[in-house]
Amino acid sequence: MMKKILELKDIKKKFQNKDVHKGISFSLFKGETVGLLGYSGAGKSVLLRSIIGLEEIDSGQILYNDQKIDHLDENELNKIRQRISYSFQSGALFDSMNVFENIAFPLFEHTILSEHEIDLKVSQVLNLIGLKDAKELMPSDLSGGMQKRVGLARAMILDPEIILYDEPTAGLDPVNIEIILNIMQNFKKRGFSGIFVTHDIPAAKKVCDRLLILKDGKIHFDGSPNDFDKSQDEYIRTFSMSC
Amino acid sequence: MSSITSLKYFETTGKITHLFIQFTQACFSRPFYLNRLLEQIVRLGIGSISISLVIGIMTGMVMTLQFGYGLEKFGGTLYVPAIVSMSLMRELAPIFTSLLIAGRVGSGISAEIGAMNVTQQIDALRALGTSPIRVLVVPRVLATMISLPLLAMLSGFSGILGGLFIAQTEFNIPPGFYLNKVFSSLSYGDVFGSMFKCAFFALIITLFACYKGFQTKEGTKGVGNTTIWVVVNASIVILISDFFLSKLLILLF
Ligand SMILES: Nc1ncnc2c1ncn2[C@@H]1O[C@H](COP(=O)(O)OP(=O)(O)OP(=O)(O)O)[C@@H](O)[C@H]1O
Ligand SMILES: [Mg+2]
Repeated sequence: MMKKILELKDIKKKFQNKDVHKGISFSLFKGETVGLLGYSGAGKSVLLRSIIGLEEIDSGQILYNDQKIDHLDENELNKIRQRISYSFQSGALFDSMNVFENIAFPLFEHTILSEHEIDLKVSQVLNLIGLKDAKELMPSDLSGGMQKRVGLARAMILDPEIILYDEPTAGLDPVNIEIILNIMQNFKKRGFSGIFVTHDIPAAKKVCDRLLILKDGKIHFDGSPNDFDKSQDEYIRTFSMSC
Repeated sequence: MSSITSLKYFETTGKITHLFIQFTQACFSRPFYLNRLLEQIVRLGIGSISISLVIGIMTGMVMTLQFGYGLEKFGGTLYVPAIVSMSLMRELAPIFTSLLIAGRVGSGISAEIGAMNVTQQIDALRALGTSPIRVLVVPRVLATMISLPLLAMLSGFSGILGGLFIAQTEFNIPPGFYLNKVFSSLSYGDVFGSMFKCAFFALIITLFACYKGFQTKEGTKGVGNTTIWVVVNASIVILISDFFLSKLLILLF
């Protein structure tokens, strides 16, 4: 039996009078990458943001290694956020810092590495994402695909246990998508876990052990990519056609 | 309608007070960002030296001109140095410099933090396990609280020199006499009282700017509205609190 690393129990979340989540429950096991699918506006980003406490859930529980992490204060959340990291849908790079400074930021904040060690580590990561020449560039000088890769690198640099990928491949060309999926697979090979939000079903099938479908504020489907293909459920059939 | 407005007013006051408490807590606990503080002192403080000089010199010159001609009728030009230096150091330099800093620094900080907020960079700071209060608010507030009192004094003293020039050229008051009168009428209380007021105004400006920056929502238009709100409200609060602070300082010194 694999170890449960993250567990969501009956999560509910409402904005003004719009119910986004109406009772979401699922678990993430160690070493596993789970795909989270659903139409635009289904609440995928809000769910990822809730896990690391950027949004406050209304009810339910979020457990990380059996420790309750919803409704913690910011100081405690900041410790959790070094273990569970979130790669933003928009990249969210710091536009006053260059690529190197963006990726090095978490290292300067949370480690006691020397500047030389940080330099080395960031250079390695830049090689990995194929951007070793972009070190000095500012975010505004990067293409969308490059920004996403830098955002992903920044989310990975502290070797978190879980990464929440928010549409890391959206809007990219096939070559860039391949690079990102490779990075994700490498991360997984090292035994870490992830939740992969995407509209790209083939990509999800490629890296994910399990797929979840979010519909009307609940998990409509939870199963292996194989079960997904074989499912006779009408919603899933139309969903897999439309994406 | 008016009950909604007053409710909003209390809500805003409460939130700014909360931000102030978070700021104070962050000031007295690790980690500190000394390099970020210095960076902001250079950007916000040193970057404002030239406009502070202009305000000071021009105010000192025009005040000397006005008082000089006003008092000449009564044969009172001798009192010009004392009046000009006292009004400059106690009120005009602190207030004019603070209002200008509210415009320059207040709008700058609120636009910067507002833009970071709408592009999710504030969320990114939090998601990376750091506190936006420590990283963004503390350096800016402290830098302004350190810089503004010094800028106001610089402005005041340059105003006295501007006055000296006009006093000599327009009214034939010798510089030696002028300076003598200035230093015998100014007290340390005037200087430190004004610096204290300016530190308080700096706190108002930067807390308003940071608070409104974090509240900024709707894209670019939101950023524009944010800067307007900060400059207008900080200026009003500065002018109102100046009266009460001045009263307090007069009682103390
Ligand atoms: N801060 C907020 N205030 C009000 N409503 C919000 C807020 N954030 C998200 N929502 C709403 O919650 C719903 C879910 O949004 P979310 O961003 O999670 O969708 P998503 O599934 O990630 O969509 P996409 O695939 O387009 O990224 C949307 O209807 C959105 O309008
Ligand atoms: Mg989304």
